[in-house]
Amino acid sequence: MPTIALIGNPNSGKTTLFNQLTGTTAHVGNWPGVTVEKKEGTCNVGGEEWTVIDLPGIYSLSPYSPEEKLSRRYILDARPDLIVDVIDATNLERSLYLTTQLSELGVPLLLALNMQDLLKRDGVEIDTEQLSRMTGCPAAEISASKGTGLEKLIGLAKTSVEGHVVPACPLFSNEVEQWLTKIIADDYLHVIPAGRPPRWAAIKLLEDDELFAESMPAPPPAFSAMMAQARASLRKTYGDDAESVIIDQRYQVAERISDACVHAIKQGRKEFNLDTILTNRFAAIPLFILIMAGVFYISIQLVGGLTTEPLEYFFGEWIPIHLGGLLDRWGVIPFLSGLLIDGIIAGVGSVLTFVPQLFVLFLLLSLLEDCGYMARIAFIMDRIMRSLGLSGKSIIPLVIGTGCSVPAIMSSRTIEHQKQRELTVLVTSFIPCGAKMPIFALMIGAFFPDRWYVAPMMYFIGILAVVVTGLLSRRLDKHKEQNAFIMELPRYQVPTLKNTWLQTWERTRGFLIKAGTIILLSSAIIWQMQSYSFTFRAVDPTNSMLATLGKIIAPLFKPLGFGTWQASVALLTGIAAKESIVSTLSVTLAGAPLSSIFTPHAALAYMVFILLASPCIAAISAMSKELGGGKKLVKALAWQTGYAYIAALLFNLLGMLVL
Amino acid sequence: MDGQEPKTETLASLTSGQTARILGIEAPRPLKRRLMDMGLTHGIAVTVLKVAPLGDPMEISLRGYHLCLRRDEAAKVSVERTEGITCQPSR
Repeated sequence: MPTIALIGNPNSGKTTLFNQLTGTTAHVGNWPGVTVEKKEGTCNVGGEEWTVIDLPGIYSLSPYSPEEKLSRRYILDARPDLIVDVIDATNLERSLYLTTQLSELGVPLLLALNMQDLLKRDGVEIDTEQLSRMTGCPAAEISASKGTGLEKLIGLAKTSVEGHVVPACPLFSNEVEQWLTKIIADDYLHVIPAGRPPRWAAIKLLEDDELFAESMPAPPPAFSAMMAQARASLRKTYGDDAESVIIDQRYQVAERISDACVHAIKQGRKEFNLDTILTNRFAAIPLFILIMAGVFYISIQLVGGLTTEPLEYFFGEWIPIHLGGLLDRWGVIPFLSGLLIDGIIAGVGSVLTFVPQLFVLFLLLSLLEDCGYMARIAFIMDRIMRSLGLSGKSIIPLVIGTGCSVPAIMSSRTIEHQKQRELTVLVTSFIPCGAKMPIFALMIGAFFPDRWYVAPMMYFIGILAVVVTGLLSRRLDKHKEQNAFIMELPRYQVPTLKNTWLQTWERTRGFLIKAGTIILLSSAIIWQMQSYSFTFRAVDPTNSMLATLGKIIAPLFKPLGFGTWQASVALLTGIAAKESIVSTLSVTLAGAPLSSIFTPHAALAYMVFILLASPCIAAISAMSKELGGGKKLVKALAWQTGYAYIAALLFNLLGMLVL
Repeated sequence: MDGQEPKTETLASLTSGQTARILGIEAPRPLKRRLMDMGLTHGIAVTVLKVAPLGDPMEISLRGYHLCLRRDEAAKVSVERTEGITCQPSR
């Protein structure tokens, strides 16, 4: 079964093409670095199943950040049968720079000129035949978002794989070529690892590529001497190091091809540049705050106000009354009807109440991601984020984190600098995710219905925790390393209906699945554990095994004001999924008001603790992956939980004075 | 920055709307490579489009696309101003 790999610059539309080819719904967005992991799917090519691999975008085969390393390693080690070089046709020159590197790998290469629709709008035409002649690769014009040109692409892929046509390598200047010939002729080249073509290896050696050098045994002295001579000679001719000379010459090849193939056919339509407002000197930051506030106002306040009450009535009264009556008439044993109504329906229903709000939140976030605004946020916020020891790119995980921390933590991978990346991973879950929303809504509804500022305050406390953590780690960081922020600003685009729907539905579905699995199971278990004692006798909840367990950890939370067994047990179930806190409280209270176990200031402290303490298990495993597990993970979780404990303690004490 | 002659202009010293040609990059290897990978190679024309609200980073246009980078990085790129010649129109 042949394998084709999709490779190209970040944000060139690889994942959109992947979704079109494989019929899957992998996450796409409009900023460089949406895809940080390798994804696999299958595509039907003339009745045959082909494997399609989607890889993180790269600008060159000399990687800079971890996800770029993954792409390079994959292409070199896995040796796909065909590389589809996905090219943003509106950005041909820079894309061809990568093509000059891909064509040296000795793997058939197919150029997919994406974004034909945008190209037409610019009034530009690309001579595909000429491009094909100059690069030695077949080329197809496609529009991945509209799904056009795909049959041709698949047809060309088939002939490429069957014919195994390897593209022509770009030629460097005579001097560079002479050195390359000498290097290739050297015996040292016999030890290059499998799958690396000699010419590619020779270029990497001349460039002194660290990653490649690591995969080779130490060179003999004669070879090292020759390399030193080569580099000195190139420096004399070109006044720069060998690596820069090669990059320069690759770009010259790319320019030559691009100049010969791109023709302006008419004046492009002049578009209004949204950046005039959105990154405007004065308006940019207020607009960012306004947009984010708008997202939360619409999803939580507006939609929540409309849907919460009827849904609460539906799950809390209508179903229990009708279903309860039905079960009674059928003579179902009390254990089962109790489990179903007081356990499962009370638990799952309390979480499902929030589906409309989350749906709208996910919808709005998906629009923000698709239109191209995320990269602008990074641009306008970089200065602030830097003073916190973070990068402008850290703002993207923080915004995505308002939906769910898991993809947010993963998206931190595009941050090149390791310390900034780890710090971003640590602070991302301080931003309240969608699953924490139900808890806030529940508590605020019960204790602070007239205080509008409590909900925004939660976001503010989360942001403050990010700031405090950032400043502190900056103070503790002795090295104060220099780091860079280099990012492409993509074009704005109108999000497509199909994509927006898919992204929103995919995330909502994830939430629904959780409700149907983890929440359902934990509600059922919690109900049983609170209805029976350790000797499996039906008892009053206060003597149940759940209460016994809860009472063991409850003293820990006494100073925070919520040292009851119900509150403590709910926190524990929150490790599985934060929504479980709501379902557990609803099951354990069994209709009693929240005020029976919380005072208003304890409720406030409870929210603060949940907001800041270590996230759910899914987010913890995402953190573990990004931090490399072990000590760093333990430290991060300890910091989050310790910070949460102190903050909750403060709020409990302050609350006692104020409320 | 370090070791540069005072007369040489850097990308960081340009203001919005100015266009210049790149002469060379003086930076640690990974950074230099990254900047060159992004197309900041010798002789290429770049136009400064705008500076972020808080004074840093800056947005430039080159090779028909838009890139943002911090002043610290821009200060490592030496340029020669080319009045009158403009880059491709911005998007």
